[in-house]
Amino acid sequence: MSKKNNDLSAVKVKEKFNWPLTILLILGLITVLFPLYMTIVIAFKQPSEMTNSISGILSLPQHWSFSNFREAMEVTDFWRSLLNSVLITGITMGLALVIHSLMGYAVARNMQNSKFYRTSYYYIVSGMFVPFAILMMPLVKQTAELHIANVVGVILCYTVFYMPMNVLLYSGYLKNIPVALEEAAHVDGASTWTTYWKVIFPLMKPMHATVAVLTALGTWNDVMTPLVIMSGSGMNTLPLAQLTFQTQFGTNYNLAFASYLLALLPMLIFYLFAQKQIINGVVNGAVK
Amino acid sequence: MAGLSLEHIGKKYPNGYEAVKDFNLEIADKEFIIFVGPSGCGKSTTLRMIAGLEDITSGTLKIGDKVVNDLEPKDRDIAMVFQNYALYPHMTVYDNMAFGLKMRKTPKDEIDKAVREAARILDLDQLLKRKPSQLSGGQRQRVAMGRAIVRNPQVFLMDEPLSNLDAKLRVQMRTEIARLHDRLGATIIYVTHDQTEAMTLGTRIVVMKDGVVQQVDTPTNLYNEPDNLFVAGFIGSPQMNFFDAVVAKEDDKVVLKVGGDTLALPAAKGEALLAGGYEGKTVVAGIRPEDISDEAEDLAKFSGTVIEGEVAVFELLGAGVNLNFDYADTQMTASVAPTTPARVGDVVRFALDPDKIHIFDKTTELAIVH
Repeated sequence: MSKKNNDLSAVKVKEKFNWPLTILLILGLITVLFPLYMTIVIAFKQPSEMTNSISGILSLPQHWSFSNFREAMEVTDFWRSLLNSVLITGITMGLALVIHSLMGYAVARNMQNSKFYRTSYYYIVSGMFVPFAILMMPLVKQTAELHIANVVGVILCYTVFYMPMNVLLYSGYLKNIPVALEEAAHVDGASTWTTYWKVIFPLMKPMHATVAVLTALGTWNDVMTPLVIMSGSGMNTLPLAQLTFQTQFGTNYNLAFASYLLALLPMLIFYLFAQKQIINGVVNGAVK
Repeated sequence: MAGLSLEHIGKKYPNGYEAVKDFNLEIADKEFIIFVGPSGCGKSTTLRMIAGLEDITSGTLKIGDKVVNDLEPKDRDIAMVFQNYALYPHMTVYDNMAFGLKMRKTPKDEIDKAVREAARILDLDQLLKRKPSQLSGGQRQRVAMGRAIVRNPQVFLMDEPLSNLDAKLRVQMRTEIARLHDRLGATIIYVTHDQTEAMTLGTRIVVMKDGVVQQVDTPTNLYNEPDNLFVAGFIGSPQMNFFDAVVAKEDDKVVLKVGGDTLALPAAKGEALLAGGYEGKTVVAGIRPEDISDEAEDLAKFSGTVIEGEVAVFELLGAGVNLNFDYADTQMTASVAPTTPARVGDVVRFALDPDKIHIFDKTTELAIVH
């Protein structure tokens, strides 16, 4: 008996140290951490410290100074650009949570019985496979003609761009929410609208968090859409402002990287906050 | 509280499947009606039509004096307890129970009073602040019940509310529901596939099969005078024994011929069979396990209806014994006293109580005489 126990614990120890997998994970970690290290180091260096030798690239800065950050903030008109970015991302995210979840709900609950909803679903989701390059020129023309070649047009475009993915996510998640809950709410006296807001919407919290993170990340980092649609409006988003670091005579990496780090912070904070909401088993206890 | 009236209610799905056919029933105020039947018999569909969760294809449904066919569930003044409870997982027990009243814009203090009263009745006082995920199965079941009670609706609808509970809890909740019915004086419609629940709870039982109502009657009448073979077999556990028999006349007396055996029938039953023109025809005879005995006293008393069979299975239940034996090409069960000397392999003589023999038409399956 005791020998058997020993054998079992030996097996357990073996499982704990899965070397190939550990090495693979370490390699994966390096591919993530190394660029991050480079970004941070370069953001703190002076242009004079940028050499072509390996040791020069990898070395830590001689003085840790925030001067790059200060300068980058000035060059990009940081606070205004940040405000614009926050505005666009925030509104897009809000619209996505409301509109896309409603669409997902309508589609998910009617797909089984209605050809119309089934067709709509496939039509919407097929939008995922249309590359932006194809849409770009028509969109530029259309927004200009509709006089929304500005922040409104950008937000509108984003709301449509993220619709396929979000509707797919929401309608998929709704399969986990039992229809009996809605029936119970109907019997309890709630209309479909009230049922949605009081019962279904709160229950989709994990999916809201996922959708919020994906949508926010995409809009926050996007250069192309604001570049082609609202470049003439005099408004800059952070990624747009950061384009100034690239000139035809060269790129100021130190300032650019400092600026990238600054732009990354708000998203990081948002992600940490949203991540907490993505918890499994929220519908536990609803039905047996 | 109010009565209900279902007139020629039917449900036909777009694919042509008829789940419920011509359902007629008058339910009086404060009745406890049970819909019982095997899976897919249309009992849940009927309940859902009453709730307004399914459209009624044909017929008229009245709650009180009001036709409610086209009313939304919220306007029907009903409350429903679902099979899987359907509690709102993001709300506390209190909010779950208060939800229905909030939707009806009831003043806050009234809601509070109603919820606390229901919680007291159901022994949920200590759990009001918990979420459904922190409750056990039985507690969730009680919350689902509480959610219905606080609304004080005209009619309670319960869709197999006990089927997710373990056996012991089910018996306990069954008594609680019976007590609740007395206490609230409510009209309850209760769906179940468990005939024990049906027999113990209902004031009247509706037995359904394939969307058709087989019989509507009190538990006692259903048990003693089933309308047809299906009801006879469905109600009662272990189920009624059936065997084919030929009606014959011997010395002015009507008897049943089963293989080589002759079973003498009481005069009233014989007359009914003759009047129906069954002489010489094959009928189905039915007898409940508890009306078969192996005791000497009964063998002497019912000497005209004694059969013999070899015991195949011996089931000790504590208070009694079920003996399974082969007779007339069918498996029969006798519920006898635990003191029986019979064991597996014994050939035993059994006496059938002739007054308790039910006779059914073989083709129409309807009861001829009880």
